Order: sequence, then structure tokens, then C-alpha cells
Amino acid sequence: MKQNILVVGSDNVVGSRIVNTLQTSDWATAVPLQQASDLSTYKLEDVTGIVNCTMGGPAAILASAQRLFETVKNDDDRTRIVHLSSMTVYGSVNRKVDENAHLLADLGPYGAAHIRAEEIVNGHLNTVTLRPGCEYGPGCPQWSVKLARLLQAHRLGDLGIKGDGLCNLIYIDDLVNAVLTALRLPDLGGERFNLSIPSPPTWNEYLISFGIALGAVPVRRITVRQLKLETRLYALPLKLAEIVTRQLKIGATHPPPAITPSFLMLCGQRIQLDSSKAERLLSLQWTSLAEGLKNSAAAIFENSLVDSKHL
Amino acid sequence: MILDARDFPDGHSLTSDICVVGAGAAGISLALELANTQFSVLVLESGGLKPEQETQNLYAGTVVDERLHSLPDRYRQRRFGGTTTIWGGRCMPFDAIDFEARDYVQHSGWPINLDALTSFYPKANQLCEAGQFAYTSTSAFNKPLRPMIKGFRSLNFSTDTLERFSCPTDFGARYGNRLETAQNVRILLHANATSLDLDKDGHQLNSVAVTTLPGRRLNVRAHQFVLANGGLEVARLMLASRGVHANGIGNHHDVLGRYYMCHIAGTVGALTIYGPLDSVWNGYDISDEGVYCRRRIALNSTTQREYHLANFVARLHHPRITDPAHKNSILSSLYLAKFLIPYEYGKRLHGDERADLKTWLKHIRNLSMGPFDAAKFAWHMLRDRRLADRKFPSIIIKSKANLYSVDFHAEQEPNPHSRVTLDHSVDALGMPRLKIDWRYSKTDVHTVSKSLELLATDIAQSGTGKLAYDPANLEYEMTRYGAYGGHHIGTARMGTNPTSSVVDSNCRVHGIENLHIASAAVFPTSSQANPTLTIIALTLRLAQRLKNMLLNT
Repeated sequence: MKQNILVVGSDNVVGSRIVNTLQTSDWATAVPLQQASDLSTYKLEDVTGIVNCTMGGPAAILASAQRLFETVKNDDDRTRIVHLSSMTVYGSVNRKVDENAHLLADLGPYGAAHIRAEEIVNGHLNTVTLRPGCEYGPGCPQWSVKLARLLQAHRLGDLGIKGDGLCNLIYIDDLVNAVLTALRLPDLGGERFNLSIPSPPTWNEYLISFGIALGAVPVRRITVRQLKLETRLYALPLKLAEIVTRQLKIGATHPPPAITPSFLMLCGQRIQLDSSKAERLLSLQWTSLAEGLKNSAAAIFENSLVDSKHL
Repeated sequence: MILDARDFPDGHSLTSDICVVGAGAAGISLALELANTQFSVLVLESGGLKPEQETQNLYAGTVVDERLHSLPDRYRQRRFGGTTTIWGGRCMPFDAIDFEARDYVQHSGWPINLDALTSFYPKANQLCEAGQFAYTSTSAFNKPLRPMIKGFRSLNFSTDTLERFSCPTDFGARYGNRLETAQNVRILLHANATSLDLDKDGHQLNSVAVTTLPGRRLNVRAHQFVLANGGLEVARLMLASRGVHANGIGNHHDVLGRYYMCHIAGTVGALTIYGPLDSVWNGYDISDEGVYCRRRIALNSTTQREYHLANFVARLHHPRITDPAHKNSILSSLYLAKFLIPYEYGKRLHGDERADLKTWLKHIRNLSMGPFDAAKFAWHMLRDRRLADRKFPSIIIKSKANLYSVDFHAEQEPNPHSRVTLDHSVDALGMPRLKIDWRYSKTDVHTVSKSLELLATDIAQSGTGKLAYDPANLEYEMTRYGAYGGHHIGTARMGTNPTSSVVDSNCRVHGIENLHIASAAVFPTSSQANPTLTIIALTLRLAQRLKNMLLNT
């Protein structure tokens, strides 16, 4: 008999990929839920696992974690929770970090919300927490689609000293595999796992390689002056335009993406997620960066999300 | 962590696993490679984060013939980042033949071959921000490039090899932050290494004496020491450290400071390419990563052996700027604006002849004939060089008459009589100043004259053009501006025999257990290639060795 797995956040790219993968498996049936408030409509006795891949702002992350905990708090830790957190819980550190590293809420409300959300859901002892780096791959909005648009527009490229940070990438299929393994393996309750490819590239290396894969060549060297303009002058109006467009649900209209100060800060941060525990206990195999970039670029062109005239 | 030696009390002692003297291309590359390891690293830098005249004056010295070699405080920068703060950024690896002992190039031959550096070159390329390690047009580009000279075929020369250009990367500005945040690295600014102090047996370096310009003295102890303070300063510091060995450290056999090389370079001839304007391409090609690349005319190794020539490359160049006969408004505008151009890049603009009023007027007339071309060029240089982070590397003029000159860059034969020694005068810290006696040899003249002869013949035989030059005047032309500035090579050469070399194949000073050199000073020969990329590759190789040594102890 197949197990019922609830997937909270099923409308985002990670959630939908988890749902699709579960649906084609021979051991589970996925129950997609857009938000945690939908949990109340299901009887927990029929459920063996819940995946929480809620994305969004700090309030949404916290509300989801709270609702999830409320739902399972009386089930004697029977239900396996797989909670997707974020590498932002490590704050602004510039070194290699394993799962025991001190958490630091110095990157603003988003990181603080993830730290608190982890605390909340881990009140349930059968919770496995995954801390992925930057999810990339076909359809990944933040680290593939948006970056592709910026690279095609030559607003991003080689960032010089500003892109010297380490880019802790995780290919979307690898993330889905990690979630599925975390659902099934016994005795993982309370464990936390970093998820990022070993030997991550620098942001410059990632952006240059992705630019080449997209045919956005020659990849431009972006001056510090231009980055200042982007983050100090253009970012706010572009972000507002993005929010308005989203709120008004203007279908195919995509305003130019913003290059935010927080993104630029991340590009300079030399944090490296130590994912050896995930390799060991979750038996993860990493998709190579070359393969991941090839697939990401192919999906971009297929979906015509960016101009492919250069290819 | 970045510290300032002036903040420490007089007599203070510092310790570290590895002490690196100098924070230029080599010192910073070494520190980066050792960053975030278990070993503590202390980098001593004479200068600060900005240029300081008083510190720069410590480089002052004398030259025997100023027409042949610029003064020692030119083409070098004594500050964090070293000479990478002003370099041109040209990168290319050495060729396999450069490492060989060639009986027709006196004192040639390295104790290592190209394979020893092959695995380190890509990382060196990365540090220079010069893109992938691909130095032929076929490996660097997915599609065929337009021919350099349409129809040119030669058995002696290749037009397939490339030089790639760094931004040019200022290593201090680019990597300072990375070193500052590394847990195990300390950079000590305003720390002048003034003496290397050996143990009483003279086999072990105990400490480096450090002096600040205000006169404080510090002492640095370490397990391993690396001198990364440049091809001239390495020799100076070792020659001046006479506490145990009277002739200086590593100088039992009077080799230190000798075999001093630069490159033989010049611009000669009138090269006319037949056919339409698109028969020739003398500009840059931009790789997918955005790196400027340029092809050269490179003398192949078979021809070098056959005619007993050292290594040689040539590029298509614009006519000599100083001579208004070129009738080019852009070149004349450069001539007229030469006072705005830094010495290191402007030397060839100034020329060696005295410009009279007539010459000036001719340049002004040239400019008035093409003011729009000059304005367009000025805009291009402002946008693509002055304001760009990745700078357009040099002046490229597309001739409207397919008329060019040949800019050559040749290997110099090692010569024991070409040398640097200590002068009687001292600098503000009491260190003896350098005296430079740079010399070239008949082999150098032969290399240039025969190579140009072969090139002229091959161009004529392929029916693509005509290279005219005056062979009788060639020696004058190749030394018109003296030794190529900024390439200081060979003063502490590498070899297996301590009687004819200063360091062994691992860059360790013969007879001193814990003293290494990361610099072009160790190159036994100069190649045709600019030295920076190979300095860094050799430094990365040394870093690996140091890590292994410290792990084993």
C-alpha cells in the first residue's frame, strides 16, 4: 500500500517537482497543498510524511512552520516531517560550515525567520531539516531563470571582486532526491543536513559558465560603478514593479529583475556548506555543474523565458 | 588580518609557520593558496595600501647605462599588490623549448620541464582573471577567427598562438579582502625586510629582520621563509644579508645577481599587406568569457633549433608614433597627449630624438586632418579602457593603407656579465642600493635579425605583402628603448648544481633548509613570454611543496 505524503508549498518549483516525483514512484502518493493552512483538511492518521517547502517572506515561513507543528504535535512523533530550511541560517560567516555551526540571524528577517522556523518544527522529534544552498536547474526561478534574464541583458556577468564568494549550488533533482530519501530513511528524526555540491564554484565562475551556456557571450565584466547603480538606484523600483505585477497577476509580463543589495552581498560571501553528512547518510550523488548548467540553459530556451536569438 | 608594522613596539618579535616577503603577484598568490589551511602565514609588505613616495624611494638605485636600462625605481611598485598595480596584464605560458638546454643558447636549460608547471598554469590564469587556460585560437574559440594575414603560410612561424589579457588585475585590490578574512593569514604592512639572519652554521634561516621607515625594528621567526619580493629585490636582500656568509646568502659561487635578463623588444620596419583592408586583422578577439585575446606571429621551435635562435614572437603594430610621417591623426593625438600618459607606458611615445617645432606642427596637421577619427578613438579609450574594469589592453590602429610595423618580443640569452650588484650608497633604512649592469649578447642580435629575415622572406614568398627594414640599423632599433621594462629575470637562477645556480628545482636556496624564492629571479631563461603567469604557476607549485613539507613535519 502506498504512503500518503503531504507536500506543503506544492505550487512552487521545488514543491511541484517533489509532487511529480512522488506521483511516479511506486511507494508514495503525493497530496499537494499550496499552504500550511490546508493541512487541517486532512486526517493525519492516513499520512506518513509531510514535506514543508514553503517559500516566500518571513511571515509566510513562520506561519507555515507554526501551523505544521500545531498539526503534528499530538501524533507522538509518528509522522516524518521533512522541513526545507535555508543556508541563510548561518548568517554572514565566511568559512566552511557543517550542521553543528552556530546559527546567526544577522542577514535580516529572512534568515531570522528560517532559524525560528527550524526551532518550531523541530519541536516535533521526527523532523529532518534540510538546509539547501542555491537551488538551480530547469524552472528554478531565483538562481536560474532570473539570473538568465540578467545575463542575457548583460546586467550580470563577471562581477570581479564582488563575485568572489562561493556559490553553494544544489541542482533541483538532487534536492528532490534528498527530500525523498529523508522521507523514507528511519532514525533520521532530529537530523539536519546541508545540501550543496562539494567544491562550489565562485559566483563569478557560475555566472560566466551560465552566461556561456546561454550564449550570452562575450560575458561582460560588470564594473563596481554599475553594480552600485543597480543596487542603489534601480533595485527598489524594479522590486516594486515585480511585486505589483505579481499582485495584479499580470500573466506574461515580467519587469526586468532587480539586482538587490542582499544578492550582491551573497555573491561576495565565502561561506561553504559542508555537505559530507548528506553524502554519507542520505547517499546523495551530485549532478555535475556542467550537466546542471546544460539542462538549465536548455529549459530556458525551451520555455522562451529569455531571448535565445544568440544561439 | 591586515596589520601595520608601525603599530608594534620596537624589538617586537612575531612568529609564523610560513613567512612570505613581498605582497605582489607571487606573495599574494602564495598567501591565497595557503589561506584557510592549518598553517599560519605572515606576509611582509614594505608599502601600504596606497602608493607612498618615501617607500617607493627605497627602490632607487643606479644603472651603468641609462640608455639600456631604466632606473630601478621605474616599472616596479613597492606597495600592497606590488607591480600588479601598474602592469599591462599580458599573459602567456612558456613554451616547452624554453625549458630545454640548447647548445646554441649559452647557459640555457631548466632542471624542470613544462610538465612540472602544466597543472598549475590554469589556476595561475584564473588568478590573473585571464579566462580559461587556452592559448591557441583553435582551443580558445569555438569558431574560426578571421585570419591575421589572409593567405600567409609559413613553415617557420605560427599565427595560431594567443596572448590573453588580465583585466589587468591588481592583486592587492582584488584579493586583499580574501586574505584579510582568512583566519590563518596576517599581512604586515610597512614591514621592510632588511636582513635574513641565518643560524651560526649558515644552513637554516632563523629570522627576518624588519625595519619600518620611522626606524622601529621587528623580528620575524618562521619554519619556512619565501622571498617573493621581485627579481631585483630578491638579489638585493640576499646579497645584503652578510651576517654569516660574507658574499651574501646563496652566493658561495658568485652566481647571485648574475645572468640578469629582461626581454629584447622593439618596433621595426614597414610591413605592407597586399589586398583589401580585410586581408589583415591586427586587433583583439574577445573570448566567450569576455577576455581580450590577441594572436602573434610566433617562431616555431623547429626553426629555432635549425637556425640557432632563441625564442621570438612578433605582432602587427602601428607605425612609430613619434614620426609624423605616418599621417595618422590618432597616433599624432597620442603624441601630443604624451605628457598625460604614465612613464611606464609613455616611454616609447616620447622617443629618443628631440622633437623640434616642425615635428610638432606636423603632428598637429595630422590631427587636424582627421579630428573625428581622433575623437572616436578618445571615446573608445575612455569607455573601454579608462572606465572599464576589464580594460582594452593597448592601442590598436587599423591602417587605412594596410601599412604596419613589426613589434617583436624576444628571449634574451643568459649572460653572467649582465648582473645586479650592491652599490656603495644606502637607502633610508641603511640597505645598500642596487646597481644594474644589463647587457645583451650577439646571440640576442642574431635571434632578432634572423627571425625578421625569415619573416620578411615568408611574407614575400606567400605573396601576402612586403616587410622592409634596414638590417644595418637593427641593433640600434632593438635597443632604442633599452631592455624591456618590468621583466626582471634570472638573478637567482634555478639549477641542480650549486656552483652555477642559486636555487634547486623546488625553488629552495641551495644549502639553506628553509629558504625559498617565488620570483622570476629563479628563471634560468626568459622565454619570449611575459613572466607574470609563469611566476604565479611556479609559486603555486611551491605552495604545494610547502604544504607537504609542513604536513610531514
